[in-house]
Amino acid sequence: MDDRWIWWRLAWRNLWRNQRRTFITASALAFGYLASVTMIGLWNGLLTEMIETGTNLVTGQLQIHAPDYYPERSMYATLGGREGIDVDELVRLTRDTEGIVAASPRVYGGGLVSTGDETVAGLFIGVDPDREVEVTRLLQTPVEGRAPKAGEREILIGRGMADILDVGPGAEVVLVAAASDGSLGNDLYRVSGVFETGSAGLDRSFAILPIRSLQELMVMPENRIHEVAAAVEEPFAAPALGDSLAVAVAAHGLDYPVAPRPWTVFRAELAEYASLAGAVNGIVVGIIFIMAVFGVANTMLLGTFERRREFAVVRALGTEPRSVVLTVVYEGFILGVIALAAGVLISVPVLYWLHNYPPDLSNLFGDFTMSGSVVRPVLRAEYSLDGPIYAAVALLITSILSALYPAYRAVKILPADALADT
Amino acid sequence: MVLHIRGAPVIPGPVRTPGELWDSRRHRIPGRFRARGGLVIPLALLGCLFSPLAAHAQSAREIIDRVDQLMRGESSIARITMDIQTENWDRSLTLSAWSLGTEHSLIRVESPQKEAGTATLRADQEVWNYLPRVDRTLKLPSSMMAGSWMGSHFTNDDLVKESRLVDDYGIEIEFDGTRDGVDVWEFLLVPLPEAPVVWGKIRYQVSKEGLLPTWTRYYDESDELIRTMTFSENRMMGSRLVPTVMTIRPADKPEESTVVRYHELEFDVDLDEDYFSLRNLRSGR
Repeated sequence: MDDRWIWWRLAWRNLWRNQRRTFITASALAFGYLASVTMIGLWNGLLTEMIETGTNLVTGQLQIHAPDYYPERSMYATLGGREGIDVDELVRLTRDTEGIVAASPRVYGGGLVSTGDETVAGLFIGVDPDREVEVTRLLQTPVEGRAPKAGEREILIGRGMADILDVGPGAEVVLVAAASDGSLGNDLYRVSGVFETGSAGLDRSFAILPIRSLQELMVMPENRIHEVAAAVEEPFAAPALGDSLAVAVAAHGLDYPVAPRPWTVFRAELAEYASLAGAVNGIVVGIIFIMAVFGVANTMLLGTFERRREFAVVRALGTEPRSVVLTVVYEGFILGVIALAAGVLISVPVLYWLHNYPPDLSNLFGDFTMSGSVVRPVLRAEYSLDGPIYAAVALLITSILSALYPAYRAVKILPADALADT
Repeated sequence: MVLHIRGAPVIPGPVRTPGELWDSRRHRIPGRFRARGGLVIPLALLGCLFSPLAAHAQSAREIIDRVDQLMRGESSIARITMDIQTENWDRSLTLSAWSLGTEHSLIRVESPQKEAGTATLRADQEVWNYLPRVDRTLKLPSSMMAGSWMGSHFTNDDLVKESRLVDDYGIEIEFDGTRDGVDVWEFLLVPLPEAPVVWGKIRYQVSKEGLLPTWTRYYDESDELIRTMTFSENRMMGSRLVPTVMTIRPADKPEESTVVRYHELEFDVDLDEDYFSLRNLRSGR
């Protein structure tokens, strides 16, 4: 008979000698696994929510500019320089990039919004209303009125600005902006609606108008834009998508450079928070399994103590200490594999439930703000591959680690003493 | 009015409440050097000019105050051209300007045609702009005072500022001697605590002959040069010897400039406060 598997077989047999104890120990590990995986999933869910609310309001997750646009954000630093670009072509190319779901062109300007009596400084964002709704929530929910229509001299302003100016939908306001020819662009616009984001600074200073209207105000031709904003499927893929898009633009024969700017750059604090959260995940998973190590080691120690006479016998028959250690460690490892299988079995439905039917705690807590992003208190778990894998590795290491001390004790048994002690 | 904003949303300006403006003048020195009134146009445009009467040596403070007030008649009318050069465009504006005392001034664009009639009014503590295209007057928020005026390198604040240098700055002579064969004083102006000013310090060169300014250098709070204003082509205008050309250059873009040239300048003309009304701002006449 093949001897190679003898210690594995022994380990296996020993495991089932006290089934209840094995079951309980494996359960501890399995639930540790469940706890880790669920926690990582919920954290990822929270991060995703944070990133989404932090980026899909105004910025999008990926922006494309001319390389000299940042940090000055000069109105002259348009894509393609003075000659401008085929806007539709770049937007189409962006949207067709694998992993990008939507793209929208934009023009920015600074100026004044005035009723005559009251004047406030504003940041003007010129957008294509039809495409913008696919990228951000900016135009989606005016609290009054509606979003501006393409081709109309209409403007959507924030609650704070509307209050200062004391205007509502239908009111006429004067927009004044520095124009690209050095003159003072000014014209009358109709307030189409009022938005409210909850961010006071934004609601007081942002004003959104159809892209062509803003270009006219700033004396800019139609083919000069400052930005293409894009929404991506997987937020953490945004930096890589930006790079591949820049390559695609060059490969497509477009003769101007583009500089992608993912949210991890313009919302660096969110990205930092995400990586911090990753580290915290690791620590918490570590703590869960360190606690498990002691529990499992304790029961295995009991198991080896019960069998000390057997160990004494095999030692007396000439078994090497190494083989004794192996059999105990194998026992721990097999226990870990069983626990892992059980853990995966119970984790899958829990994660599925948390992902698809997340408990909504809004009634209890209301929205809260993290790193400048409004987050809904919804316990939604995000699937990820690395979380469960890390947890699985941690579990197996735990089961082996917890077998080491009992194995050491088993080797230390003196055959004569153990056998004499009846 | 214009903010020559390059992308940046809002340029925060010095916030001056009317009260501060008023208080800033509480240090007025009495006596013969005291201003008789008149902010002629862009006081800061003119920077400071000097009365030919007083030529003997005075304290730094007195010299600066005299230079600062050279152009102050009770009232004035001027015709000006402003040539603006930037890396992206060049343009030239013809302006008319009226002033009365330190409280009232009106500047109107005469050409180019597209912007003719655009006007800026300072009356009491408020600044208003008139935009003929939309036929509206708008009051300039204080946050916009640091914004560019009509795309030039002057700020709105430069154009309407009426407080005097001696009220806001401590002044000392930094250099007294010859530069390029010309006898000059160079002054260092450091803001007094709580003075409502934007500059960290100002350096000022005055030619001893004729007591006319030659240049002014403006620094920010970290002592970095922001812009230089040079004065040239001294001529008799309105019976005073004044520099008729002022050139402003931003330090970070030396190829850019705004040149202001006085073509006509008259002092003590017949104007009263009613002239500086919103109605007149709109009327274009």
